Amino acid sequence: MWVWVQILISSLSLGSFYALVALGFSLILGITQAFNLAHGDLIILSGYLAFALWKFYQVPFFWTLPVCLLAMPLVLLPLQMLLRQVKEPYGLNTLVVTFGIALLLQNAMLVVFSADYRLIRPELPHYTFPELPLTFTLNQATLLVLSLAATGLVHLVLRRTFLGKALRATIEDREAAQLAGINVKQMGLVAFGLGGLLIGLAGPLYGQNMYLYPAAGTEATLIAIVITIFAGLGRSRGILLGGWLLGLAESVAALTLGIRWRELVSAAVLLILLYFKPQGISSAREG
Amino acid sequence: MRLIKSGCRGLSRFVILLGCCLFPLIWPAPDAAAGQEIVIGEINPRSGHLAKHGAEIHEGILYAVEEANSRGGLGGYPLRLISRDDQSKPEVAINQAQNLIHREKVVGLLGGYVDSLVGPISELAAKYRVPYVASASLQRSLTARKNPYFFRVSRLDGLVRPLCQFTAQAMKAKRVAILHTATPGSAEFAASVKSCLEKAGVAVPLLEKFRPGCPDFSVFLLKVRQAKVDVLISGGFYADNLILVRQMQEGPLGLRAFVAPWGVAYQSFIAEMGRGAEGLFGTCAWSPGITLPGTERASQTFVEGFRQRFGQVPNTTTMHGYTSARALLAAIDAVLTTGVKPTGEAISQALRQLDLSLPMERLKFDEYGDPRFYQQVVVQIQGRQMVPVYPLERATGQVDESLARR
Repeated sequence: MWVWVQILISSLSLGSFYALVALGFSLILGITQAFNLAHGDLIILSGYLAFALWKFYQVPFFWTLPVCLLAMPLVLLPLQMLLRQVKEPYGLNTLVVTFGIALLLQNAMLVVFSADYRLIRPELPHYTFPELPLTFTLNQATLLVLSLAATGLVHLVLRRTFLGKALRATIEDREAAQLAGINVKQMGLVAFGLGGLLIGLAGPLYGQNMYLYPAAGTEATLIAIVITIFAGLGRSRGILLGGWLLGLAESVAALTLGIRWRELVSAAVLLILLYFKPQGISSAREG
Repeated sequence: MRLIKSGCRGLSRFVILLGCCLFPLIWPAPDAAAGQEIVIGEINPRSGHLAKHGAEIHEGILYAVEEANSRGGLGGYPLRLISRDDQSKPEVAINQAQNLIHREKVVGLLGGYVDSLVGPISELAAKYRVPYVASASLQRSLTARKNPYFFRVSRLDGLVRPLCQFTAQAMKAKRVAILHTATPGSAEFAASVKSCLEKAGVAVPLLEKFRPGCPDFSVFLLKVRQAKVDVLISGGFYADNLILVRQMQEGPLGLRAFVAPWGVAYQSFIAEMGRGAEGLFGTCAWSPGITLPGTERASQTFVEGFRQRFGQVPNTTTMHGYTSARALLAAIDAVLTTGVKPTGEAISQALRQLDLSLPMERLKFDEYGDPRFYQQVVVQIQGRQMVPVYPLERATGQVDESLARR
């Protein structure tokens, strides 16, 4: 019984982090139709920024979050300007351009930070429940709270503001939104801004929960793509649900079948979902 | 007439095209005997998820080549090292090896980290008769077929035996859990350790495999706690152990020891993990201060020279690169001394007769190309230092059991 509770705690925190990694990617893809293959590498760049602040300037870990949060939208701005110049077929061409940028970023990080694995290691307390065989770490709480807060805020912006309506309209039908007077170019800028904020938040958490190395972005991009397919474009609640489901599927597979089955079970769940609900898990409710 | 002209034009185009294609093959290769230079190829993961280890091996090889060049090269010929990046991918490793063999006409190959990258290169080495001395390779099947052009400076038994004996005899473990990656060397390592421990009467109730780069071990650690094991042996790589050890800190597991052959016995690991590394056990074949008896002076010279050249202290992986390069260079030198052209066959023959005393090991290959005397030592992290604790003849300290508990 307590084993399952422990698994739930682990899955929710890991799944929330997955959702955070995917949310920025999904927003940018949904609003601008740019398939940003450099998404994961930008997260790693943000992680390295946090690492440099924490390691070399002794900035407390939690203070690196606002710095990265503000810095990454500025990094994404030139990317957005570059992608605006890309010609049709837009989706395919952005894929090629961002792939090049991903390689460029990886090599730049290799030169600046070397190939060493870097870890952000704040001294966070762990809470064990003396009566129960359960462990809940502040690390897990941080992941859960920050991911929920970020997803919640994005959800509020999308659902409760005029800007959000415009953004959703752009996701639903770009041409129709343009005919209705929505400036889709500005919406693209907003998407990259929001995406940058989310990337800025995900980076330090990535460095704290996994490890940073120049090529780590590929895995983060893959997580983002999988969850976006899982949830559907720009669907914040669906992305959170997708992240949790993926985290839970991986954890249950690791417990019952063995840790080597994690990825296989996730892939199987994704394929089954694509077969039965190709629009994503939240398409019926939010669509 | 027009037909003949167009036919001639077509033929001349064909000849030019054929010439272009055959140019790299018919152009004479740089030949040591012709008085130029000796070209050696190196393939390592310099980018991708194994880049850290590839860079370390590369520096060891580069240092050995520069050291030889500073002494006037080999037989009066300067050495030229061509380094290639396999991007941590086997298919790229094959392409790079083919390029080095056919285009660059290297006399020998060096480098390699993990058997999935080393294996394909060893096949090419046999096919094109170019000697290949792998820097880090363990899988038994790679040498079992007696590939006459493949040699390596490490072997699985040199790792399994001390680790198994330490766990069973020194730690007196009753129940052990083993975690390993889905790479050929690590999988074979886990199977060998399990078999050895079970022969020694130690139960292994938990053995699990994972893909390198796994982001979460919390469920596995839950199973470790449930299995009530004394010792956890991790066959994960450096980066996997970073996550594993960090997650081990999140709650008591009831372990008496955590042992990891790859990753823990590095100063960079200790620096990254801080206090979390205290008490952990690792293994290494060499480290500054942990050297083969009788090679202390050579070891110290290497450390000082390396520090001057690269601005950092070498580690065991660097030493594997250095040792492999020293072996190949010594074999080429032996061939040149006899006045014979350094062909692949002659160098391979010289490698088989090699007997070198190096800081990491006394290097003498057996008939399979494996090093006869390779043996790692078990170290414990005590006060941010690696203290050799097993085997007893090489131990400089004692196991601190209270520090080891997790």
